[in-house]
Amino acid sequence: MAGDAIIAEELSYWYGDLIAVNGISFKVGEGKILGFLGPNGAGKTTTVKMLTGQLKPKGGKATLLGMDVAENVEAVQGDIGVCFETTNLYEKMSAVENLKLFARLFGITDFNPDILLGKVDLAGRGKDRVETYSKGMKQRLMVARSMINSPRVLFLDEPTAGLDPASSEAIRNIILEERERGATVFLTTHDMLEADKLSDQVAFMNQGQIVALDTPLNLKQKYGKRALKAQVSTASGELVDREIILDTPETPQAVQQLFSQENVVTIHSEEATLEDIFINITGRGLIE
Amino acid sequence: MNWGIVRALVSKDLALFFRNRFFSIVTVLGLVFYLIFYFVMPSSVDESLAIGFYAPEILPAIEEAFQEGVEEGLKVTFTVTEEALKEGVIGGDFITGIVLPADTAEALISGERPVITLYFSSDIPEEAKEAAVVTIRELVYRQVGQELPVEIKQEVLGPDMLGMQVPPRDRLRPLLAVFLIIFETLGLANLISEEVERGTIQALLVTPVRVRDLFISKGIVGITLAFGQAVIFMAIVGGLSREPLLILVTLFLGAALATGIAFLIASLGKDFMSVMAWGMLIFIILAIPAFGVMFPGAVTGWIKIVPSYYLVDTVHRVSNFGAGWLDMWNNLVILLGIDFVLFWVVIQALRRKAG
Repeated sequence: MAGDAIIAEELSYWYGDLIAVNGISFKVGEGKILGFLGPNGAGKTTTVKMLTGQLKPKGGKATLLGMDVAENVEAVQGDIGVCFETTNLYEKMSAVENLKLFARLFGITDFNPDILLGKVDLAGRGKDRVETYSKGMKQRLMVARSMINSPRVLFLDEPTAGLDPASSEAIRNIILEERERGATVFLTTHDMLEADKLSDQVAFMNQGQIVALDTPLNLKQKYGKRALKAQVSTASGELVDREIILDTPETPQAVQQLFSQENVVTIHSEEATLEDIFINITGRGLIE
Repeated sequence: MNWGIVRALVSKDLALFFRNRFFSIVTVLGLVFYLIFYFVMPSSVDESLAIGFYAPEILPAIEEAFQEGVEEGLKVTFTVTEEALKEGVIGGDFITGIVLPADTAEALISGERPVITLYFSSDIPEEAKEAAVVTIRELVYRQVGQELPVEIKQEVLGPDMLGMQVPPRDRLRPLLAVFLIIFETLGLANLISEEVERGTIQALLVTPVRVRDLFISKGIVGITLAFGQAVIFMAIVGGLSREPLLILVTLFLGAALATGIAFLIASLGKDFMSVMAWGMLIFIILAIPAFGVMFPGAVTGWIKIVPSYYLVDTVHRVSNFGAGWLDMWNNLVILLGIDFVLFWVVIQALRRKAG
């Protein structure tokens, strides 16, 4: 049975008087995707920095692949891949040169950049300087760079932010492929649909604390409401909306009445989104 | 220490440096320009004697003597005041300025010894002073048939440089070598600050790259660029003909100094413009000792607080006056000490900035 790839225990960090991360604890199983959600300033980036060895926790402990991150930074960083939110490629170098550089840093001698470039749909542009790339191409190259060492844990910070739908979908497919390969993915995103679609578990972070952590389905069942949305035609021909809340004792009777007493034109079910749930829990939106 | 990582980072930095059009052009053109500049400078000292002369009342015999001297290459300029004479000496118009008192003729007739004052500028070598005095005595002797019973008083205007007569282009040698070294600080500082500004340093620091690998690789790049250029320049202009090992060690320590300063600039600057602004300020300060070589007497003891002084002074004294290890060891030790302190300080600063 697979163990936990990431374990955070009472993890804390503060900058002066500002508490960025306040004693958070969670686990991510090997080969699972954790969607890490929260508004700007919630402490997501600081958490990622502690998990990837960029910051030493001021309280608590981070364990990755069975190693204390603070004590084994070098070993941990050899087994992880990090894709940053902001583009930080060497723009005056080509994609191939960028990838080869990082392969050398990981000590990979038989590296073939073409395979990785093909995976992110950049096969024909490998020799062009990165400064000539579009934002989407740069983002895909960043994802490719984070996979150079076939990482056992992949940290992706807003990998699809600002991308066109095709590029976003390509990156989502890569994330799923990485999970198929057995990698654990720590996905930080603002995109609720993306998190819902990809994540095995979702953590909501707010003001330095994790306020909810569960599978998307469980979160929806616990905090969200399901409803039937219908449009009915009145005697005068006017279209009117009707909503029936599901999972209540009155639901069966209400459904029966709708169909027996009204002229239903359209009907569909509606689930709460993760964003609805986040607002429900925290009283604030993800993007402020 | 992972040398595979350091090698990868060094290759990357060198590639990026030469892909920066501004710095690559300036590096090559700078070297070419400095070489051209060096070779168009005079390679020898002007041996003609330019003399300024002030006398309220000119003795016919002395005037005739000077006329004869002019025919032999002596350049004589008569000034209307003693102040104008002094200005001419300080400004380098005359190798010496002669003041003949108003009562010279009467004093000579009455058997007294009138005092003739000779003004010299501070960087006039001793032998030139002597030559000037001898020439004047000789001219007068040939004209009047006997040595005049006068007392000659010598006065140096500005600090006496005790005979440092070096051809202009040899004076220029340390200046240009130091310019080449110092200029590389701007390129390296830009490489480092770009790494921080664009976040690539973060991408590196989540791989097996450690902070020390980064410092070592940047240090190697900086020293290689600065040292390489200075050595090429010194080799072409003949600066390695005397004590080559001593010069190479000095240039190496100078290149390390420049690299340390590049780190310092990178820790101060946030982007290209701020790096250039800080860089130019520091560049000017570091260049001052080199100007001190070009214009002796223009700087005084305070110059020793500028770190590049020990680089300039060593290169100048070794390449122009044949100084050796025994003469220069203290400069080298100070330079080494400055390098160590500088590296320690900037590593702390850059660590904080990268974090």
